[in-house]
Amino acid sequence: MPAPHISVSRSWTGSVGLILRADSECLRDWVAQRQRFLLSYCVVTIVVGAGAYGAVMGCWRDALQGVYTGIKFPLVILLTTLGNGLLNGMLAPLLGLNVTFRQSLMIVLMSFSIASVILGALSPVALFVVWNTPSLSDLTRLSSPEYGFLQLTHVVFIAFAGTIGNVRLMPLLRGWSPNASIARNVLAAWLAGNLFLGSQIAWLLRPFIWDPARPVEFIGREYFRGSFFETVFGALLRLLFS
Amino acid sequence: MNDYPPPIIPKPALAGAPSGLPTQPPLGSTPDEQAPIPGVVAAIESILRQPRRVMYQLRQSGSNRLTAGMVLVAVLCSIIYGVVVGAFSGGTQLWAAPAKVAAGLLISALICLPSLYIFACLSGSQARLVEVAGLVAGLTMLMTILLIGFAPVAWVFSQSTESVTAMGALHLAFWFIATYFGLRFLNAGFSAHEDRSGGGIKVWMAIFILVVLQMTTAVRPLIGTADTLLPTEKKFFVTHWIDSLKTTYDADGRNTGLTR
Repeated sequence: MPAPHISVSRSWTGSVGLILRADSECLRDWVAQRQRFLLSYCVVTIVVGAGAYGAVMGCWRDALQGVYTGIKFPLVILLTTLGNGLLNGMLAPLLGLNVTFRQSLMIVLMSFSIASVILGALSPVALFVVWNTPSLSDLTRLSSPEYGFLQLTHVVFIAFAGTIGNVRLMPLLRGWSPNASIARNVLAAWLAGNLFLGSQIAWLLRPFIWDPARPVEFIGREYFRGSFFETVFGALLRLLFS
Repeated sequence: MNDYPPPIIPKPALAGAPSGLPTQPPLGSTPDEQAPIPGVVAAIESILRQPRRVMYQLRQSGSNRLTAGMVLVAVLCSIIYGVVVGAFSGGTQLWAAPAKVAAGLLISALICLPSLYIFACLSGSQARLVEVAGLVAGLTMLMTILLIGFAPVAWVFSQSTESVTAMGALHLAFWFIATYFGLRFLNAGFSAHEDRSGGGIKVWMAIFILVVLQMTTAVRPLIGTADTLLPTEKKFFVTHWIDSLKTTYDADGRNTGLTR
């Protein structure tokens, strides 16, 4: 007689619950044997979940900005996963987790998928926050409190979703690893790599909320320049030397 | 019961056992480790997932083919990563940087090979020179395939940033991570060769890192551009880094130049 979790996993809505509960046995089964389903499932949840949240993020400025951010936000996630896919696949066996490239890609996608589902679920809340925030006007500046409040809210929501996405992955990695420290190391290495590349890709694809100096556009010409870390480093130097 | 067979739980494999882990059994104690490595693809797969298989094969007669294959992969991967390095400046650097990266790595390995053999003997290792050469080939191959893993990330940064110093720091960080894993493989290889203390190998590792770092300065520019293909002025790599930082940031911490 089939176990209940397997039969539930055949439906997409049931899969959301299964992924969020992070049933390690079922997820391991998916990663090992149902990769095509898992790939399409993860891509769809990332596009829908992160896209919905992105749309809410951008709609404070303009409906068109909402559409743009709704496209860009899932794009950041997918490009980060693809860009780091090879590296993540190499780091896992080197750190002691013997998974194939495809499996490592699936696991990372699953983590982003969990985060995207959470973000999608939080998007009505974020929309409510945006709706209650004073609208953008000619007087709004980058230093305006309403803009700062929105930024902070999004950072908290995204950080929360990202943290849960990674924490939920831990039991799966733990089940595949000979010991907990290997699972932790692999997760930390993947997380560091994804944060590093993800920050830069997000930097290149900005603005996500608003840019006072430019009209609404998908990616401004001047934005495909510079690096996130260089800017932070430069700001840090100016702060220290001034 | 369920419809699916239980998932296969893979066996752990560490490319070089870090200190603190229990002593490994002798090389070739499992049939997996004794399986021959037929080609370069299998060599890449093995060094990532079953490094002990590579170490065992290097001990067998006729390991020269495996060593040559690993050197070939290292050269090819260096060239590919070199193209990413050169893509920052474009032009001449698109062919000069790959040539310099590949040649620099090979020359560094060759320069350090005799000292590794001597240090290994001093540490009590039973490894023959051929095996030592094979382990160095494995080190360079693992380093360069990891650099290929970093290549997409490096490319994203190289296409967006203008700062030579930032790109230099990024490539250096990637090189350090790749070298860490490469040296871990080498260390594990010598541990399997009854190396008693490992002290000599650690000294050699420091020498190897210094040689490669100096090589990056000796064949500069790797990232930016210059009037000549090779430098006309001799410099220690630390001095070169400090000079680059000074050129990029003024006394107030403002970014003042040194761009592509």
